[in-house]
Amino acid sequence: MSERGLGLDMAEGESSNLSQPECDASVRQFSANGISMQTSEVEAKLDEGNIQEAESALRDGLSLNFEEARALLGKLEYQRGNLEGALLVFDGIDLQATIQRVQHPLEDKPPSKKGRTRSETSFAVSQHSTNLVLEAIYLKAKSLQKLGKLTEAAQECKSVLDAVEKIFVDGIPDVLVDNKLQETISHAVELLPELWKKAGCYSEAMSAYRRALLSQWNIDNECCARIQKAFAVFLLYSGVDFCAPSLSVQIDGSYIPRNNLEEAILLLMILIRKAYLGKIKWDPSVIDHLTSAISLCGQTSVLAKQLEEVMPGVIHRTDRWKTMALSFSGSGQKRSALDLLKKSLNQHEAPNDVESLLLAAKICSEDVLLAADGVKYAQRAIANANESKAHLKGVGLRMLGLCLGKQAKVSSSDFERSRLQSEALKSLDSAVALECHNPDLIFELGILYAEHRNLDAALRCAKQYLDRTGGSMIRGWRLLALVLSAQQRFSEAEVVTDAALDETSKWDQGPLLRMKAKLKISQSLHMDAVETYRYLLALVQAQKKSYGPLGSSPQEEHEKVDECEVWHGLASLYASLSRWKDAEICLGKARALKHYSAETLHTEGKNSNFLRYKKTMKVSVMVSQLTSISVYSFCCYLEIVFYYKYPRVSDIPEFLKVLLHFLRKRLESSELFSWKWYCRSIREASGMDVKELAELNLRELVGLDFWELLSPNTMLALGGREAAGMDVKE
Amino acid sequence: MEDQVSASPDKSTSNKPRITWSDSYSKAHVAIEALASILPGLPLALSSSETPAASLLQDREVAAQISQLFRRPDSGTVNDNLCAWLYDTFRSSEPDLQLVVLRFLPTLAGVYLSRAGLHKPLPGFESVLLAIYAHETAARNGQAITVSIPDLAHSSIYHETKQTAKNSSTELHLGVVSPSLEPYGTVRSTRRARIVGVALELYYSKISQIPIGSKIEFCEFCKIWSGQEDENKGDGASTTEDSQKVEKKEGRGGRIILPWEILQPILRILGHCLMAPQKNKELFQAAFSACRCLHARALHDINAKTILATGSLVKLAEMATDPSAAVDYTEITMSNVITI
Repeated sequence: MSERGLGLDMAEGESSNLSQPECDASVRQFSANGISMQTSEVEAKLDEGNIQEAESALRDGLSLNFEEARALLGKLEYQRGNLEGALLVFDGIDLQATIQRVQHPLEDKPPSKKGRTRSETSFAVSQHSTNLVLEAIYLKAKSLQKLGKLTEAAQECKSVLDAVEKIFVDGIPDVLVDNKLQETISHAVELLPELWKKAGCYSEAMSAYRRALLSQWNIDNECCARIQKAFAVFLLYSGVDFCAPSLSVQIDGSYIPRNNLEEAILLLMILIRKAYLGKIKWDPSVIDHLTSAISLCGQTSVLAKQLEEVMPGVIHRTDRWKTMALSFSGSGQKRSALDLLKKSLNQHEAPNDVESLLLAAKICSEDVLLAADGVKYAQRAIANANESKAHLKGVGLRMLGLCLGKQAKVSSSDFERSRLQSEALKSLDSAVALECHNPDLIFELGILYAEHRNLDAALRCAKQYLDRTGGSMIRGWRLLALVLSAQQRFSEAEVVTDAALDETSKWDQGPLLRMKAKLKISQSLHMDAVETYRYLLALVQAQKKSYGPLGSSPQEEHEKVDECEVWHGLASLYASLSRWKDAEICLGKARALKHYSAETLHTEGKNSNFLRYKKTMKVSVMVSQLTSISVYSFCCYLEIVFYYKYPRVSDIPEFLKVLLHFLRKRLESSELFSWKWYCRSIREASGMDVKELAELNLRELVGLDFWELLSPNTMLALGGREAAGMDVKE
Repeated sequence: MEDQVSASPDKSTSNKPRITWSDSYSKAHVAIEALASILPGLPLALSSSETPAASLLQDREVAAQISQLFRRPDSGTVNDNLCAWLYDTFRSSEPDLQLVVLRFLPTLAGVYLSRAGLHKPLPGFESVLLAIYAHETAARNGQAITVSIPDLAHSSIYHETKQTAKNSSTELHLGVVSPSLEPYGTVRSTRRARIVGVALELYYSKISQIPIGSKIEFCEFCKIWSGQEDENKGDGASTTEDSQKVEKKEGRGGRIILPWEILQPILRILGHCLMAPQKNKELFQAAFSACRCLHARALHDINAKTILATGSLVKLAEMATDPSAAVDYTEITMSNVITI
């Protein structure tokens, strides 16, 4: 039968199909060339194994050619689930020959500039026969797939796509393609990578996916989205690294992913964008795959941005706020996270969501000014930790303890402070009862005890924490050394510090070295301290030159030793050794780094004569006024007043007011120094017993920030409160 | 073949590197012979196997025996022959044999991390971990693995409209998948997690070749490390009992500190166990349960990044178990009217 004839028959067939509305859809039947025929007779022949007879019955009944009859039979067998039978029928078709026959008219086709009418007809004709053949091969592939012969199935499916590529050399035109042919092509494009994947041929699967997505198959949006998602999932979880797409697919300047993760993230982002533009249905798993992929690279702020783009109504707003809050919190943008949590914890939204409450409490526990809010969040979390969330009760108690402890630092009265502190201890204790396996709790309890001046308990906690973490946390080592030094056990503290240095890689040693230097100073081993400082300086300078190992953040993110601080410490040390020249050099270095530093000016002043000191202090006070927060300079000025018997004692009450104001607000970092001068000023002014006063104020002192507390100066002073008192007295 | 086998002991004594066509074959046999003296009963089939390394990798009996040895209270010390064997086998630089060593990494790391402390040195375990770490450091030349997060403002190969970007001043997000590596000669306690984490990264990079049994063991250890109970036991009740048994043996509940450097490879491995192309029901359940435990742990630590990562895996696993999700879009439309 000629192709033209077939085309005409088909046209007739379509019209007569329309004219036969009475055809009963509940009975399985063939329909071709305008004729319908029930399948029962043919089915019976097939069941007997007479393919030939079934075929000729069809050819006669529906006036079909050999291939058409075989294709119909194959489809029937496939639909009946008789897969082996379908394969037998399909085997009778010489697919390659047919493809070649189909190809010819297209190759002869004149270039598209010329009239289209003729080529369109021949297109329709050839498309019909093309689909006949391709669908047959496709069903062969499907049959093989269902029989578990995946590699063979993939080969067949691939031959469909190869044929399509041969036929449509320039890609599939948008408008000219017959629906049924397009459907077969789309199916084959989607099936091929799945087959390779299931067959365990991963690199073939990867090529098939890229072929599906990078060639023109004219597949619809949903189908394309399914392939993109399946490819992204394959890239993310197959556990095999694939090479990047080759440069040949690059369109100038366009982005080419370099590895699996980049390619997967790109695909997932495109899917979200498509859903956002309304091109495809929203698939909730896409955002979860993206969340998983992006959090693995630690770039959760990107995720927040993606979530912002999602259309309202797709994800419930409280869920969206919560996930965005987690994303911001994960990338350190705590304030943005808290703002979102406030929205989702609003009484009209999800006020009782324990996880959000805990996150909010955690964020608040890190900031003295938010601690009071944190207490409320934590209390709500505890109240709502029921049923499936009951296991989070201990976490709520822990957060409550931390927030109370933080709140105690800003309380304005001693009574309030000690009440908050004991409440904090109480809730941490009950948290420990619920979560006895959590070493972090022990650490936090240790800090709280230290702040509460219960050094024995603090020491116990520090030891326990170090033991339970197997010495893997630097902060454990530091806490132990600091508590020991607070107990005036300097040499033991030093042993601990040395052990910690042994267990730490060079790059992380800064804070430990600084502590070691200060411990040496407190043991009056000045030359050893100088040596340690030198070592520290070399490290700090090396760190300044390179960012260190890429991506490996230090265990304690707050702790980076500042170079200026090291120079300053060294200068003070040299000054106390009366090595003025060296001290001068160090100060010069410090000054070069930070021109207006109150600390540097102070040391500089002390090193020179009184008049110059006074002058520098005046500058220092001015600097402080500019920055408006430096109590330090006021203290220095007081120092001048006392040390050098500067006559303007009348200034003291004025200074005291300012000093107290700042101290209450906790805005100054060098608090010990400030308190010392506060004590002294009061003594000068009122003649009170300074030892008692020092005791009183040191109790205030211990309400410092945690990291503040871990500064050796403070801890040393805590340990030696008598010493501190004496120091003030002298 | 026979000659090669008999000649192999000589090769092990002479350290000259002789590359022959059957070098890997004989090396694998040397390894198997050495293992025979360590294990209580080596399956006979192994020594006559045509593909010794592959057989060793897949052998369940060997895996069970090695796992038993690892869990003995005196394992991982200086005199631990098994650790010495793993060390030598890994250092043979035969990829197939290295894979065998990696296959046992979950149990090794699991027992090691639960036991590692200040008071009890475990140089046996550490030597193996350091060998793996050194291998990865050399392979990567110490370089970090980074990902630059794509920005849709720039056109890409998968964009539909191929237009050049107008706004090129968008910020670059560089994600670090694995930080750069410094060489370590010993396990310093503050770097322990990193060293184990890097070993797990190597395990992950070979995971498509690792037998299922090893991955299931890994999932069980993740549950123990999390220190959390899986609330949703379901049909995995028997495995939970097993893990409790292990828990008791390891003491201290087995809960360990889980910094990101160790958690990140764990999550990649679990993602694979849940959603790899080759599905295995038992592995899926084990990984699902591990993810739930790690998610509970993340909630206890209130660690935002980990909550996101574990939470999304749990949700994805839940979606995967939903039968309505399994629609075959490549199926043709079945109708009673069959046409061409």
